[in-house]
Amino acid sequence: MSEDSKMSGNLPNNTQLADEEIVKSHVELTKIKHEPTKNFLMAPLVFVFLFGCLIFVCSIQLAYSTNYFQLHPPIEVVELSPEEKEALRLERKITSGEKIFAARCASCHQANGLGIEGQFPPLAASEWVTADAGVIANVILKGLKGEIVVNGKTYGTSAAVNMAAVPISDREIANVSTYVRQAWGNSAPEVTEDLVSELRSEYSSKQDQWVGNELRALYSDSFGN
Amino acid sequence: MSEDSPDKTIDRSARLAFSFFLSSAGLWLLIAALFAYLAACKLTDPFFLSSCEFFTYGKIKVSQANAFIYGWGGNAIFAVSIWILARLSQAEVRGSVFLIFAGVIWNLAITFGLLGILDGHMSGHEMLEMPKEVWPAMLISYLIITFLILVIHRSRQIKETIAPQWFILAAILWFPALFLIAWHGLEINPARGTLQTVLSMWFGQSLIWLWLTPVALGAAYYLIPAILGRTIDKYYLAIFGFWCIAALAPWSVVHHLEGGPVPMWIPAIGTVMSIAMVFPIAVASTNFHATAFLDLGKVWNSLPLRFVIFGTLSYTVSSYIGVVFSLPAVAKITQFTIINEFHFNQRVYGFFSMIVFGAVYFALPKITGREIPISAKSFHFWTSTLGVLLLLLAYLIGGLTHGVLAGQPSLPWSSSVISSVQPYFLITKFAFLLLAFSQLVFVVNVWRVIFPNPFAKLFVDQKEAGA
Repeated sequence: MSEDSKMSGNLPNNTQLADEEIVKSHVELTKIKHEPTKNFLMAPLVFVFLFGCLIFVCSIQLAYSTNYFQLHPPIEVVELSPEEKEALRLERKITSGEKIFAARCASCHQANGLGIEGQFPPLAASEWVTADAGVIANVILKGLKGEIVVNGKTYGTSAAVNMAAVPISDREIANVSTYVRQAWGNSAPEVTEDLVSELRSEYSSKQDQWVGNELRALYSDSFGN
Repeated sequence: MSEDSPDKTIDRSARLAFSFFLSSAGLWLLIAALFAYLAACKLTDPFFLSSCEFFTYGKIKVSQANAFIYGWGGNAIFAVSIWILARLSQAEVRGSVFLIFAGVIWNLAITFGLLGILDGHMSGHEMLEMPKEVWPAMLISYLIITFLILVIHRSRQIKETIAPQWFILAAILWFPALFLIAWHGLEINPARGTLQTVLSMWFGQSLIWLWLTPVALGAAYYLIPAILGRTIDKYYLAIFGFWCIAALAPWSVVHHLEGGPVPMWIPAIGTVMSIAMVFPIAVASTNFHATAFLDLGKVWNSLPLRFVIFGTLSYTVSSYIGVVFSLPAVAKITQFTIINEFHFNQRVYGFFSMIVFGAVYFALPKITGREIPISAKSFHFWTSTLGVLLLLLAYLIGGLTHGVLAGQPSLPWSSSVISSVQPYFLITKFAFLLLAFSQLVFVVNVWRVIFPNPFAKLFVDQKEAGA
């Protein structure tokens, strides 16, 4: 610091520098060998210190942001608790069921689950849906014929689908019936794939559709009256 | 001719080339200002000029950047470096005819390039958007000018060189190197996949860091001692700063790819190198400001120096801001926002242009022997300072708002994010208008000195005819 100000002090201070002088005096500055002084020159020391600090910060930054020099970013694994896993499984099951319902059921039973009065029975708030899981599973497995009464109205005059001839897997039945049992204000427990395959093998010899009263008799405990 | 001082002879030899490059630079500056204002208008009112195919936002924005960097930046760099190198070498400028010939080719190439962009023949590479047919013309004319600048330097009186010479010569030589690398990697032997994106981005950013920045730094290293009459304080650091920029800047620019589809090490290296850029920034600001603060009164009273110190202060402050924004934690917010506009504008307006204005106001009276009225210079200083500050603050605060809001997926895009950023676009539109006005003042100042009263003969004739 002191040397520098001495150097510039030698120059005429009030006038502009001529270009030749600028070059010469700066060249001169680079040639100065600093005399050993009592104190250290602070500026170079500070710079060396800062340089060291920054190299340290830089190397940590480099190691950190390249994930310790691996080529690919780490795959983030999120550990779920058992409850969260269960909730996620059910959510996926219902989403899948919703898609199956929209593709294969909604044309008759309608997307809002209310059916069409006198032709296709409603699924919303229907005891046939919310009764024992076996009822809805059996209906989807084989179909239903004859007259049934849902919410005080009689259905069954139109032709019933023979579900035994419709290809649909156990898992699909489990998903769609779980969806139906939990949509539009229904809140019945889920239908498992195991139950469906059990019922399929139990009634494998049955060729025609169920009749309403047959099912009512089979699952009489779960029907209200 | 009576006995003249050597400086006068040098100035007279530089006069033709300097005036030519400066007046064309002024023209490009006005064209770029017009484009900038049109682009800003389109951001606030999307239907503005929307029926005209030539003026879609993408074309205007790109034309503005190209007119500014190559038109204004290129010509200003030629003018300033020819004069400063001639003065420092104490050598006359030779081959003015060839300089002007090459300058005409350079300007024609940019003109055709911009017309090509507006006509839809844009190439997709950053800062190389002009159709590739004009690239050879640009390179050849640039090389002719480079050769003549090197001739000036070779015929210098004093063998040793000082900081302004290193910076300016390096910038002059780095440009063709960058240009050839980019040309080779993008067109002649195109790199495949991600590398092309990386290369194109690297070229666009390096152009600012290795071409515009060193020339402005070199001009500051010359003007501050020349006007203050002192040597640069702590001059022994300058060589360290120079090599730091040369070694670190081309690496540091890749931090702009943070969050992009490139291998992780590229932005990581970029971040590290931008942190290391603290050194050259610290060196330059120590050199400039330690010298300037020894004689603040003189800095304030000399308008050229006021421009230069504004430029160096803006360089220091915003380069540090740039370092902070390169950190991944911060880049998470600021990446892909209008903060990018902040970086570009602070570098080309707040830093490069301001120092060039200072250099021009210092050189022009010496070269032409005619003074620019102090009030006109002062008016230019205040309007451009106000415009630059307004523009940069709007982009900075607007960019942070943009980044914070855009990071929240729950917010509806147009009704909350866009409408919060909209006021800042209005401010930038106003700032661009102010800047266009101040640049018009600059160009009028310069042209009045270069072409004093071009209609004088006309009026005299009329008077004579009247009499």
